Amino acid sequence: MFAKPDITSVVAGVCIVALGLLLLLDGTGTADLRFGVLAPACCAAVGAILLASGMGRPR
Amino acid sequence: MTTASAGSAGELRRDRDAGWIGGVAAGVARRFGVDVTLVRLAFVVAAAAGGAGFAAYALGWLLIPAGDSRPSRVRIRTGRAAVEVALGTGLLLVAVLLTLRELGLWFSDAIVWPLFLIAAGGALIWRQSMGEPADTVGRERSASAAAVPGAVRAEAGPSVAAPGRAELAVAEGRRAAVAISRTGIGIALVIAAGVVFLQATGALGAARDVLLALIAAVVVLAVIFAPWIVRLLRSLTEERAERIRSQERAELAAHLHDSVLQTLAMVQRRAGEPTEVAALARRQERELRAWLSGRPAPGQSARLAGALEIAAAEVEERHGVPVEVVVVGDRELDTRHEAVVAAAREAMTNAAKFGGGSPVDVYAESADSRTQVFVRDRGPGFDTGSIPPDRRGVRESIVGRMKRYGGRARVTSAPGSGTEVEIVLEEEQ
Repeated sequence: MFAKPDITSVVAGVCIVALGLLLLLDGTGTADLRFGVLAPACCAAVGAILLASGMGRPR
Repeated sequence: MTTASAGSAGELRRDRDAGWIGGVAAGVARRFGVDVTLVRLAFVVAAAAGGAGFAAYALGWLLIPAGDSRPSRVRIRTGRAAVEVALGTGLLLVAVLLTLRELGLWFSDAIVWPLFLIAAGGALIWRQSMGEPADTVGRERSASAAAVPGAVRAEAGPSVAAPGRAELAVAEGRRAAVAISRTGIGIALVIAAGVVFLQATGALGAARDVLLALIAAVVVLAVIFAPWIVRLLRSLTEERAERIRSQERAELAAHLHDSVLQTLAMVQRRAGEPTEVAALARRQERELRAWLSGRPAPGQSARLAGALEIAAAEVEERHGVPVEVVVVGDRELDTRHEAVVAAAREAMTNAAKFGGGSPVDVYAESADSRTQVFVRDRGPGFDTGSIPPDRRGVRESIVGRMKRYGGRARVTSAPGSGTEVEIVLEEEQ
């Protein structure tokens, strides 16, 4: 039996991994990480973490 | 707390009854426990940016099944959870807008960003103007009551411990601070939207000149009228403080009348029965100590029906007069309903003392929006206009108490025809 995962931690982990991949792609020259790409990615990551945290709290 | 009408809260269903078009926004808000205004604004702003909102709404209308019309109660998130959900939704929306802008699916910076800021600020101001859900207010009051254990417990009858004015003042202060900060942030966002729009359209220079002239005029007028404004504000503050002090005094007097003064009167009447007098004194001492320390009184009930029955049993035991209680409907006791119980208890005590030994009938009815209690006796009755000014039972403990808590009480009596006390408390709007 596994304990129920903390959804906020899972979402935060996925977001950080995705951001790390973006930076890796930028570092290897596969993708061009400009402000126009990085800004929405960061907003989406923080927004998803906040949303998951808010939804996870008891009403 | 709000009432919605489509399926259970766990399923995503369109809420046609609460919706404006197809019920998609209302259904999403209901499913995730967020304010429906927030979801609607997200759709509107996304619609302004390349029409993504239209597409998302149409997809939702097509794919999400409509809910049934079975009513159910859904609790909206409040406090920190609501702030996090609102901020998270806003940031995700910003991310979508930035992506659409980057992809070229964009209307205009001068339109979309001001619209986004106006929507966010408008949502905050609108939410504040709609007021807090009733259960939020109740929870805040309970939380502040628990947080101030040593505060004075005013207005509680001997069998009912309630948060007093100090706790209520703390809760009111907290709610006022939240209201001011929410409205302030909303206004700041709307002003920022105006500045962004003027900047984007190149009209900021002209607007700045007008604004400077306006500020200069306001400063001049403020210097001229400052003494009068300060005096007015000071007088309003003093008047408010005096009103609060006067209410505190009235509530303290009502509590002492209902408990200590009545016990002293009983002690005088039963001076020849030392065992009973000692028991009365012990009980009163316990109640008074519990009231002073803010602890719940012994034998307290958390529900209206239970509290009325406890009060009736206590009056019956003290005065030896049968008290019949019938309660239709029940509810949890909040501060206002504790005042109803305290007023009803005083009415029962009066009926037992002055009703000539006739049985006392108590009928209480509690629905969602209204609580009514009737206390009747078939005693000799009295002329309601002839109550001496120093008698506080009817004037302060019943009528005054209900008035202070936003309810009303009416005493109907005439010599020879018994007495009826009607206590009514409507739900706060």
